[in-house]
Amino acid sequence: MAAQQVEAGAAGHGAEPRGKRSEDGQATYLIAVAEALWEEMERDDRVFLLGEDIGIYGGAFKVTEGFIERFGPERVMDTPIAEETIVGMSVGAAMEGLRPVAEFQYADFMSSGFDEITTVLSRYHYRSGVPLPVVLRGPSGGGVRASSFHSINPEPWYAYAGGIKIMCPAFPSDAKGLLKSAIRDDNPSMFLEHKWIYRRIKEQVPHDPDFLVPISTADVKREGSDVSIVTYGAMVHKALEAAEALAQRGVSAEIVDLRTVYPFDEETVLRSIEKTSRALILYESYRFLGIGAEVAAMIAEKAFEHLDAPVVRLAPPNVPVPFSPPLEDAFLPQVADIEAAVDRLAGW
Amino acid sequence: MATKIEPEAAASGRPLPDDRLREVLYFLKLARYFDERMEALYRQGRLPGAIYSGRGQEGTHVGVVYALEPEDSLFPTHRDLTAQLTKGLDLKRVMAQYWGRIDGYLRGRDGNSHIGDWDGHRTYAVMSHLPIAYPVACGAALAYQRDGSHRVAMAICGDGATSNGRWHEAINTSSVFRLPVVWVVNNNQFAYSTPNEKEFAIPTIAERASAYGIPGVRVDGADVLEVYAAAQDAVDRARDGGGPTLIESVSLRWRGHAGHDPAKYVPRELLEHYMLSKDPVKNFEEYLKTNGVMTDEEIAEVQTRIERAFEEGYEYALASPFPEPGDVTKGWWVEDGYWQGEPGRAGGTEAS
Repeated sequence: MAAQQVEAGAAGHGAEPRGKRSEDGQATYLIAVAEALWEEMERDDRVFLLGEDIGIYGGAFKVTEGFIERFGPERVMDTPIAEETIVGMSVGAAMEGLRPVAEFQYADFMSSGFDEITTVLSRYHYRSGVPLPVVLRGPSGGGVRASSFHSINPEPWYAYAGGIKIMCPAFPSDAKGLLKSAIRDDNPSMFLEHKWIYRRIKEQVPHDPDFLVPISTADVKREGSDVSIVTYGAMVHKALEAAEALAQRGVSAEIVDLRTVYPFDEETVLRSIEKTSRALILYESYRFLGIGAEVAAMIAEKAFEHLDAPVVRLAPPNVPVPFSPPLEDAFLPQVADIEAAVDRLAGW
Repeated sequence: MATKIEPEAAASGRPLPDDRLREVLYFLKLARYFDERMEALYRQGRLPGAIYSGRGQEGTHVGVVYALEPEDSLFPTHRDLTAQLTKGLDLKRVMAQYWGRIDGYLRGRDGNSHIGDWDGHRTYAVMSHLPIAYPVACGAALAYQRDGSHRVAMAICGDGATSNGRWHEAINTSSVFRLPVVWVVNNNQFAYSTPNEKEFAIPTIAERASAYGIPGVRVDGADVLEVYAAAQDAVDRARDGGGPTLIESVSLRWRGHAGHDPAKYVPRELLEHYMLSKDPVKNFEEYLKTNGVMTDEEIAEVQTRIERAFEEGYEYALASPFPEPGDVTKGWWVEDGYWQGEPGRAGGTEAS
């Protein structure tokens, strides 16, 4: 069927992901994502990839480089630039028993498939009982000077649609374990990688092919006692940096990484609030109606008696992600902003 | 369901054996009667929700679907209930859906002709954002191409939906991958109130096929056998690996977009012309009588059978319980098990 036939090793390397772990076994976030895809394709031949330029080119960020040599052009399927059809085709293939993983070059372009995502993918199972094991994945987030159309955090749009589990991991191991869980899940998933993290964060990542991180479980990335910072994605790393600085000044911040933003893990968040009695919700989607707005509302409803201070949100304003470095830095919450917000909370 | 033209039928000069021709008439007349009765119930305030009449377009719907095998899939619109009935959906469960009952195919999660029975008859549960199912049909066809099952996907939309970007995306993609899919456009000349000339500035929709590198054919929706022949040709080509085909079947929407719409924007002369000369049901009855396939008495018997089936369906629908209100959030996730088990049924039933 496919026009392109690729010999193994034609791109100058063998049948394995091109991206390699470093010699000490650490994997970047990007390598962890590639390993998850590779392992799940090895495990289950119903799993296939589709998207733009993911074959010989290996994808806009080279996540799938080397895949076509191992799995062939049917399972690493380059599509026309037609996002509604990429999503719709994934739905139809899933209805017939396949398990498609669609790559978007940037999460921004998911909106070009908006109707198929929010009308078909999100609602079909509720209406008809037909499971749709579809994963939509792509790089989201700012901080890399990519401006308005290559930097967004679209998770609130799709969380509002419902019916799609949405993951925004911050660490390589979480990325690998969550993506594998998403591919094995019978529900639709949206897996939002963060391009700022892709090559910046490395760690030891489990080799076990059945290593999974359960969907909808948060993780406390740093224990603390004075203030809870509930966050996800790249902001986890900003929060960790801020917490280190705060500790120097005797303020103890606990960092709860949601990992899955919809449906999110309320229990882990509430346990942290019970401990600290103060909550900073830090997030990279817009402040107004962003993911953190729901987290803050949940805390206000369910943990009122534990709070010693108002729930505070720190998030970007509702404007397009700007390009010029000082503008983008003003747009995104910075470490100093986090420290200041925690200081204010700790003062209550 | 139909298969390729059989030798004895070909020898008679007819495209299908007589028993199949009689079955075609059954579906045409069932669609017409259902459409008329449901409109009457709607106007009497006895039917909740909406109705979308397919009257005048039965030749298109029966003709295209009659070329499919049971394992082939169908991606229809709200206008295409006739197509789903021809695919084999149970009239009783269809009617239970119209009355919002638990025994409808979608357990009350959706109503009217927004119906589907994927696990049974391989029909997609209709959605309103047309042609939203065109890209989905590409995915089913992709699966058939890979599993070697020689199945075919067929998607239907109206003339208005051809203006939407997805129509282009899906047909282009199907052509690039030579997917086993049949694209049907039910050109009933009006998209809600918008006529063809305000939807596209070319003479026909079918000629667009050449821009995608696929065959395109325009047929007369008033002639169910002409539609069927074109559909069978397209289905055979798709099944044999020859890729997609675009079929434009022309008719007129006799009624409004939905039950509330008197459709005063349709010129009276045009409507009268179609109702008098291009009625696919009457035309096919004449064909059967002229060719000695059926008599007036036999046709009347078919009508009686249909009316009985409708009454049974109506009684079944009203006797079916409503869904359990407490189940409103169930079925959101696969793991809650709602769709794997028997549904909750509310205690009482009530006639609407």
